[in-house]
Amino acid sequence: MKHSSVALLILVIAAVAYTDIPLTSDACINCHRLLDEELEPGEQILKNVFKDIHLQVGLSCADCHGGNPDAYDDEDEAMWDDPTFRGEIARMDQPEMCGSCHSDPQYMRQYSATVKTDQIDQYWTSQHGISLRNGIDKVAICTDCHGVHGIYPVKDPRSQVYPLNVPSTCAQCHNDAQYMGEFNLPTDQFYLYRTSVHGKALLDRQSLSAPACNDCHGNHGALPPDVVHIADICGTCHVNNNRLFQKSHLKNIFLKRGFGQCEACHGNHGIKKPSDEYLNWEHGAVCVQCHKSAGNPKELADLFYHTIDSLKHQIILAKELVSQAEQKGMEISDLYFPLEESQKVLIQTRTSIHSFNKDLLLETVKDGFKATDEAIQGASAALIEFDQRRKWLFIFSLIITFLIVVVYFKIKDFDRMQRNKNQ
Amino acid sequence: MGIFNWINERVDIRGFSEFAFKKKVPVFYGTIWYYLGGVSLFLFAIQVMTGILLLLYYQPGAATAFESVKFIVSKVAFGWLIREVHAWSANLFIFFAFLHMFTVFFAKAYRKPREMTWFSGMILLILGMAFGFSGYLLPWNELAFFATKIGSDIAGAVPFVGDFLLRLLRAGDEVTGATLTRFYGFHVALFPAIFTVVLGIHLVLVQVQGMSIPPELERIPEKHRRYMPFFPNFAMRDALLWLMVLNVIALLAVFFPWELGTKADPLASAPAGIRPEWYFMFMFQTLKLIPGHIFFIEGELFGLLLFTFGTIFWFLVPLLDRKAGKGQRSRFWTIIGVLLIVYMIMMTLWGYLV
Repeated sequence: MKHSSVALLILVIAAVAYTDIPLTSDACINCHRLLDEELEPGEQILKNVFKDIHLQVGLSCADCHGGNPDAYDDEDEAMWDDPTFRGEIARMDQPEMCGSCHSDPQYMRQYSATVKTDQIDQYWTSQHGISLRNGIDKVAICTDCHGVHGIYPVKDPRSQVYPLNVPSTCAQCHNDAQYMGEFNLPTDQFYLYRTSVHGKALLDRQSLSAPACNDCHGNHGALPPDVVHIADICGTCHVNNNRLFQKSHLKNIFLKRGFGQCEACHGNHGIKKPSDEYLNWEHGAVCVQCHKSAGNPKELADLFYHTIDSLKHQIILAKELVSQAEQKGMEISDLYFPLEESQKVLIQTRTSIHSFNKDLLLETVKDGFKATDEAIQGASAALIEFDQRRKWLFIFSLIITFLIVVVYFKIKDFDRMQRNKNQ
Repeated sequence: MGIFNWINERVDIRGFSEFAFKKKVPVFYGTIWYYLGGVSLFLFAIQVMTGILLLLYYQPGAATAFESVKFIVSKVAFGWLIREVHAWSANLFIFFAFLHMFTVFFAKAYRKPREMTWFSGMILLILGMAFGFSGYLLPWNELAFFATKIGSDIAGAVPFVGDFLLRLLRAGDEVTGATLTRFYGFHVALFPAIFTVVLGIHLVLVQVQGMSIPPELERIPEKHRRYMPFFPNFAMRDALLWLMVLNVIALLAVFFPWELGTKADPLASAPAGIRPEWYFMFMFQTLKLIPGHIFFIEGELFGLLLFTFGTIFWFLVPLLDRKAGKGQRSRFWTIIGVLLIVYMIMMTLWGYLV
C-alpha cells in the first residue's frame, strides 16, 4: 500500500513534467494522464476531456464511472475499494447510465430550462434501442453518436451530431458493408445522400436548413419511415406540396399499392433537384414509371408541362424587355414587382402539380401570366417611349441646327456690314 | 419701337441700349475665351428654369424625396427631360465655370482693376460646387446618401470648428431626413439668393470695366487693335454657342440619362464604388492617397488644410501676382496654373480609372 502510494506520487510529479494536460483536483485525471502517455493517440481518453461539456459544467469522471476522485495517493482507495466504482461502462448499460441524469427533468433543468429529457425513452423505441434490448450490442448507443470523453453540445460545430457532421457520423456504421452485413441493410445511403440535392445543400453549401439523416429518420427514436408517413416527413419542410398531395386523388391509390408517396416520384437518399422534365412524357416523365399507356395521365402531364413552359418563356421575355429598357436608362423600377410576382407564381404552379388537379393549375398560373403581361407591357411602353424620345430629339436637333445655320449666316451678314461701315 | 418708347418715356432705358450698342469686344486669338462666361450664365439660367419646374413636384423628406423624383421621371409629362436637363446642365455649368476661371487666369484678366471681378467669380465657382454637393443628395438615393456621409465626414475633420460644421451640414450627428431638408433649403433658397447677388455684382463689373485683354495686347496701340460690336455681332455668336450647348444637353439627356438608383437606406452598409461628383474627384483622390499621418498632423486634416489654404491662395491671386498688376509678364503664375490643371486632371483620371 505504501509502495503503491509512493509510486503514484512519483507518477503524478512526472506527469507535470511530461504531459501537456494540467494537474487538477481530480485524482482520476491526474493518474490517467500518465496512462494516456503510453497509449496510441486514438486510444487516449483524456485528449479532449477538458473540452467536454460535462467537465465544463462541473461534473467529473466519477459522476459516470464512480470511484473516489479525492484519493490522490491510493489507487485502491480511488477505484477498487470504492463501492461506487463502476469502471468501464458496458455498452448494454450505457443508455441507462446517461439517462440517469438526462432523463431527470429536475436535475437537467439546472442546465437549461428547455432541455429535453425524453431521449432515452425515445431511444428504446428506436431500431437501435430495440436491438440493444435484444442483446445485439453492435447497434449505436449514446457515445457512438455523441462521442466520449470529449462530448460537445449539439450546437457546437465540433460535435459529431452537429447537423453538418450528422451524415458522416451515421455513415461510420451505415456505410460499412462488412459491419452492416449481418443486419441485411443497404450501405449506399451516404453515397446517394452525398450526391443528392439535400446532401449538396448541407455539405457543400453548408445550409443548415437542408435535412441531415436525423431530420427524416429521427435521432434518438431513429426508425426507417414507413410508406404511410413518408409524405408527413417530407411535408415538415415541403408543407404546400404535402398539403396538396394529401388532398389529391392519388394519395389513396399510392397507399393501396404501397407506393412511398413522395418517394415514388422523387426517390429517397439520392433525391435530385426536381426538374420540369419530370412532366415531359416523351423524355423523362416520372409518371411513366406507373402509367405505361397514354390517355388522361399524359394529357394532364402535358398540360402541366406546357403551361409551366409557357410561363417560363413569358418570364424570360419579360426580364429581357425590362433589362433592355433599363439599359436605355428608362425608369422601370416599378416593373420589378410583377417580375417577382411571376417568379413566385412559377414556384406555386410547380407546387400545384402535387394536387394532380387541372383546375387548380389553371387558377394558380393565371396570376403569373397576368404579372408577366404587366411587366412586358410596361417594358414595351418604356422602349416605345425611348424611341419616341429619340425621334423628338432628332426633330429638336433639326430645328436647333436650322437655327444655328440661320444665326451663322446672320453673323456673316453683320460682320460684312461692320466691315463696310469701317471702310 | 412703340413699347420701347412707352417704357423709355417713363424710365430712361435708352442709356442701356446705347451702352449695349456702343460696347466693343476685342478681336484677337483669345476672343473665343469670352464666350465661356456667357455659356456659364446660359447654363445657370437653364438650372433656374428646370429647378423651378422640378420644385413643382419634388417633396423633400426621407420618406418622400426618392418617391417624388421617381414620380417625376416616370409619371410627370416630360418630367424625365426636366430632370435630365437639370442634372446635365449642372455638370456642364461646373465644367464651363472651371474653364472660364482658367482662361481668365492665363489671360491675367484678374489684374488691376478687375480684382473684384475675380473675387466674385471665385465665389460663384465655389457656390456652384456647393450647389452640386447639396443637389446631389436631393434624390435621396444610395450613392448620394453615402457620398454625402463621406463628404460631411471630411468637413468634420476641420480643427476646432469641425464638429460644428458637421452638425451644421447634417442637422445632427448622422445623415438623416433632417440633413435632406437642410440641403434642400441650401439648394433652393440660401445658395440661389447669395448666387444671384454675387452674379449681379460680377456682371455689373464686367459691363462697367469692359472685356480684359492680355497684357501683351495692351502694348499694341489702340488704333491697331481690332474690335467687334457687342451687339449684335458678339451677342449673335454667344447665341450660336448657346444653341449648340442646348443641342448637346438634349443629346446627353436622351442617350446618357442619370440613373436614379436605389433608395437610400441608412441602416444598409455602404455599397462598393462610392465616389463624389467628378469635380470633387481630384480632392477625394488626394485625400485617399495622403498617408495616415504627416509629421504630427493627421493625414485627412493635412489634406483638408492643403485644400483650404490652396483655395484661399487661388482666391488671392490678383493681390499676389504683382507683376501682372504692373502689366509685366508673370511666367511663375502661368507655370503654377499649368501644374494645377495637370494635377487636377491626373488625380481625376486616377480616381476613375485605377
